[in-house]
Amino acid sequence: MTRQIQDAYIVSAVRTPVGKAPRGMFRTVRPDDLLAHVLRGAVAAVPGLEAKEVGDVIVGCAMPEAEQGMNVARIGVLLAGFPDSVPAMTINRFCSSGVQAVALAADRIRTGDDDVVIAAGTESMSMVPMMGNKIAMNGAVFAHDENVAIAYGMGITAERVAAQWKVSREAQDAFAAESHRRAAAAIAAGHFRDEILPYEIRGAVPDLAAGKVTHRTRVADTDEGPRPDSSPESLGKLRPAFAARGSVTAGNSSQMSDGAGALVLMSEAAMKRHGAKPLARFLGFAVAGVPPEIMGIGPIHAIPKVLAQAGVKQADLDWIELNEAFAAQSLAVVNELGLDPARVNPQGGAIALGHPLGATGAIRAATMAHGLRRTKGRYGMVTMCIGTGMGAAGLFEAMH
Amino acid sequence: MSRFPVRKAAVLGAGVMGAQIAAHLANAGVQPVLFDLAAEGRDRNAIVRKALEGLAKLEPSPLATKDVAERIVAANYDEHLALLGDCELVVEAISERMDWKKSLFDKVAPHLSPRAVFASNTSGLSITELSNVLPAALRPRFCGIHFFNPPRYMRLVELIPTAATDPAVVDDLEAFLTTALGKGVVRARDTPNFVANRVGVFSMLATMHHTLAFGLGFDEVDALTGPAIGRAKSATYRTADVVGLDTMAHVVKTMHDTLPADPWHAHYRAPEWLAGLIAKGALGQKTKAGIFVKKGKEIQVLDLARQDYRPSAGAVAEEVQAILQERDPAARFAKLRASSHPQARFLWAIFRDLFHYCAVHLAEIAHCARDVDLAIRWGFGWQMGPFEIWQAAGWREVAGWIAEDIAAGRAMAAVPLPGWVTDGRQGVHGAEGSFSAADDTMHSRSTLPVYRRQRFPELVLGEKPAPRGTTVFEDEGVRMWHDGDGVAVVSFRSKMHSLGTEVLEGLNRALDEAEAGFDALVIWHEAPFAVGANLKAALESLQAGRLAEFEAMVALFQRTSQRLKYSPVPTVAAVEGMALGGGCEFAMHAQRVVAAFESYLGLVEVGVGLLPAGGGLKELAQRANAWAKGGDAFPELGRLFRQVAMADVSRSAAHARELGYLRPADVVVFHPAELLHVARGQARAMADAGHRPPLAPPRIPVAGSTGIATLKMMLVNMREGGFISEHDYEIGSRIATVICGGEVEPGSAVDEQWLLDLERHHFVELAKTAKTQERIAHMLKTGKPLRN
Repeated sequence: MTRQIQDAYIVSAVRTPVGKAPRGMFRTVRPDDLLAHVLRGAVAAVPGLEAKEVGDVIVGCAMPEAEQGMNVARIGVLLAGFPDSVPAMTINRFCSSGVQAVALAADRIRTGDDDVVIAAGTESMSMVPMMGNKIAMNGAVFAHDENVAIAYGMGITAERVAAQWKVSREAQDAFAAESHRRAAAAIAAGHFRDEILPYEIRGAVPDLAAGKVTHRTRVADTDEGPRPDSSPESLGKLRPAFAARGSVTAGNSSQMSDGAGALVLMSEAAMKRHGAKPLARFLGFAVAGVPPEIMGIGPIHAIPKVLAQAGVKQADLDWIELNEAFAAQSLAVVNELGLDPARVNPQGGAIALGHPLGATGAIRAATMAHGLRRTKGRYGMVTMCIGTGMGAAGLFEAMH
Repeated sequence: MSRFPVRKAAVLGAGVMGAQIAAHLANAGVQPVLFDLAAEGRDRNAIVRKALEGLAKLEPSPLATKDVAERIVAANYDEHLALLGDCELVVEAISERMDWKKSLFDKVAPHLSPRAVFASNTSGLSITELSNVLPAALRPRFCGIHFFNPPRYMRLVELIPTAATDPAVVDDLEAFLTTALGKGVVRARDTPNFVANRVGVFSMLATMHHTLAFGLGFDEVDALTGPAIGRAKSATYRTADVVGLDTMAHVVKTMHDTLPADPWHAHYRAPEWLAGLIAKGALGQKTKAGIFVKKGKEIQVLDLARQDYRPSAGAVAEEVQAILQERDPAARFAKLRASSHPQARFLWAIFRDLFHYCAVHLAEIAHCARDVDLAIRWGFGWQMGPFEIWQAAGWREVAGWIAEDIAAGRAMAAVPLPGWVTDGRQGVHGAEGSFSAADDTMHSRSTLPVYRRQRFPELVLGEKPAPRGTTVFEDEGVRMWHDGDGVAVVSFRSKMHSLGTEVLEGLNRALDEAEAGFDALVIWHEAPFAVGANLKAALESLQAGRLAEFEAMVALFQRTSQRLKYSPVPTVAAVEGMALGGGCEFAMHAQRVVAAFESYLGLVEVGVGLLPAGGGLKELAQRANAWAKGGDAFPELGRLFRQVAMADVSRSAAHARELGYLRPADVVVFHPAELLHVARGQARAMADAGHRPPLAPPRIPVAGSTGIATLKMMLVNMREGGFISEHDYEIGSRIATVICGGEVEPGSAVDEQWLLDLERHHFVELAKTAKTQERIAHMLKTGKPLRN
């Protein structure tokens, strides 16, 4: 290996289907098991690659505690059966953790320090709730008015964005219904098949009458969230979830979810060595800070920043995975930047497909990479808003 | 005590009554099995399961706590009859069809345990006829058991033995229903509709008859026949809507079919307008339209003249209002009868025909007049039964008026009053008992052992009161007394048992006396236990700027709580009904609580802009620690904080235990009249066990600044979401501050006085704010909380 400035390429990108939390198909499946599964799958997708050649594994997780605590990345690597020599670290930038992992992995390669790095994300919101198992605020948050938004729930910030960017309830519901429609259509067309790694769920429940354990297995291969019957009318009946006279509902917000995703990144030299074909080239990544009380607008600042860094025009973006934390903030971003709605989440977004916090960035990077390849597009982006007020955006170029 | 330990009971029929009876059995710790027909499809218990889901939606809730419904075992007749084998009690509650009941009896009889008591909740069929279709061996263990809807809340259960019923079975059931389920039992004869419905439904028919005769509106009649004359708020027509107009018509039809010789037989039919509504499918509440209908936010009432609904606006005329406010019942009735106002004449007419009816039928339908009066009180929610009202109004004079009206053809039936009415008596209830027209004697109270548990049974008018006991002292605030058993009782004397200085001082004096000369002290009086501090006095001191006086009252409150907790004699609070604010705090500080099942405890101070400062928050801070057992107490603390911030009130004693206002060792009693008996028993047992008061905790770890900030996070989101006001946020922040021990390092150790000082400080700070004073004034004026 020679130290040089070089490009980083995604050579494989896989994910689990996304389950609903806290009562969905993965409610009893541990996030470290989900992670081990996608790590194995990502390596297996590169026939010439052996796990021992992986230089590092960087895993995003937004609430890294309990079942996904203890540096879940390293545990996942060991559970995956990778050799002891493969190191791993868990990183956290809330909802952008997955794409942040991709950026960090790419940077290891771009600096020439590593040739093969896995970026991944895992999250079980069934097991570790939003904000974690123990919430313990700093009193200073309330000592100064300018800090109080640290304590705001995400829903309140979405209401703020809806008010400030004048996003109506009707527009939010229509956006949400469209997300479900696109997701259902993509599932029906089999467009997620290339990225999804089916997961065998093994259950063990006590049969009290028989006095023994009953084992059940089922294979999960489809995202659980999309509701093909969702419509603006049905969504319009839901009550505001966060504010008495608000417009943000459970139906036009992202779903709580469980899932994991992993991508193998390589340098050109490594691709040659392992006979790997690139899906996409990593072009850049940017993060930006915004006021916490309107955290949803983060991408408005992150997207132009990364485009400027890479010298790519917004109009040239063919595929944008914009995480639908809320329809309100998604629409604010789309409208403010003038993004082409047809190219934003062509296969639906988090409102339909779910949002397993720290895993989402890796999962949607996989969707973007496979989607661009299938549609022969060129530039792709994975972007999202981040709690306490940030935005992240990763930029990629498809390799056909 | 009952010699009839019911561990498991089956209810046959998962209709409105069956499911709720099963729920109340589950409330009482009995394991119910609820049967209905097997459903088609995969879940063969689907019918029962749907009924169980329905229980959760009923209001007021039949369930003591949310999980009660889960304790009810769902079953169907096709698969699970074997489950009947170990049920001590089986209650049949299916549709009122003789043929269906008979076929069900045939099906279940072979599966019953030889000791099981089998009872029917029929309201319309003859118990004797039902008994006759049972296998002969089962008849001694069969009787009628008639619950009222909703069975958790309506006190009455009518027990109807047949000639074949083993008297011991009825005695056992009566004791079980009384002590275990908290019901008031009236033994009824096997006559159509038994006692309560016979009289109560006639009263409704008479009301309907005179509504038309005097040309009154249904809304007007409801204004007249509700609380204005000591009856339930739902009065006549709202009650009919709630019961279901078809059900009403069915009961009336039963009377029509089974009472051909009754002098009022001509009136046993649903009025045309009622039949018309039923034909249209307007059956009342269950179909969302009946006599009343809710259009948007407006209640509308059927107007017969217009044959359409119009806004409900009926009111009692001022002139009639003045008569009804007359305190002397004799004068009240005389004025009603003398008035020419149609409302007054209407009221006299409905009472006249009701009295007439009761007098004529007493011999046939009831063992004695007390049974009629208690049945109507407990089954229909009247403050007094018909005979009591008559007797209070002056028996002889009213009897004369009735006779006059009968003679003049104004009464609904021409049959004369029975001779006993005018035999010179002053009434039907007296010191020696209540009159039985059947055997022309005065019947004293039941001598069943279960009634020895009722130190103060619910009396009817004219009945000899129970002895008051020996008074220790009696002042403006309290009365302290005893029965010579070493256990003193202190009873509050204030209105709604609110807690003013006189009650606090009285309670302290009672503690002095108890500690000097008694083995234990029980706080007991009839419901409510206490509705909180005397706000009127508090607001007066605040508005007059007498802050020192105000703070002194809070300090006295705290000292009293602490004395209850640490008194060298056992202190037992016997709680029934509302125990709110300071009332809840006194219960929390008593060394033991004996709570009636219907107990509603809560720290509701936020409603008046304050926070609990009688030691309530201090106790909650400690209880969170105790439950966490050394682990992280914050989740518990957060839950308790939310309860106080939202002013949650328990919906039963069991729920109060879930909320943490009652402790595991506190005792729940189902029958309120047994409360004092059990409370004194507990106090006695504590004293006999060599009672030691608890030791003050040397250190209480508190959540401190991190805890406060974390609780404020919840508040700030509610405020930003517009769910709470700025003042709510202020109150909530102060509650958070107190319950977390103030702005100190998390895990700091404090003592009780530290927490009490915090309570008092923040209480006074809130009391000084204009918004809090507005809240107090609003509560005093309207009885409802103001959210400003």
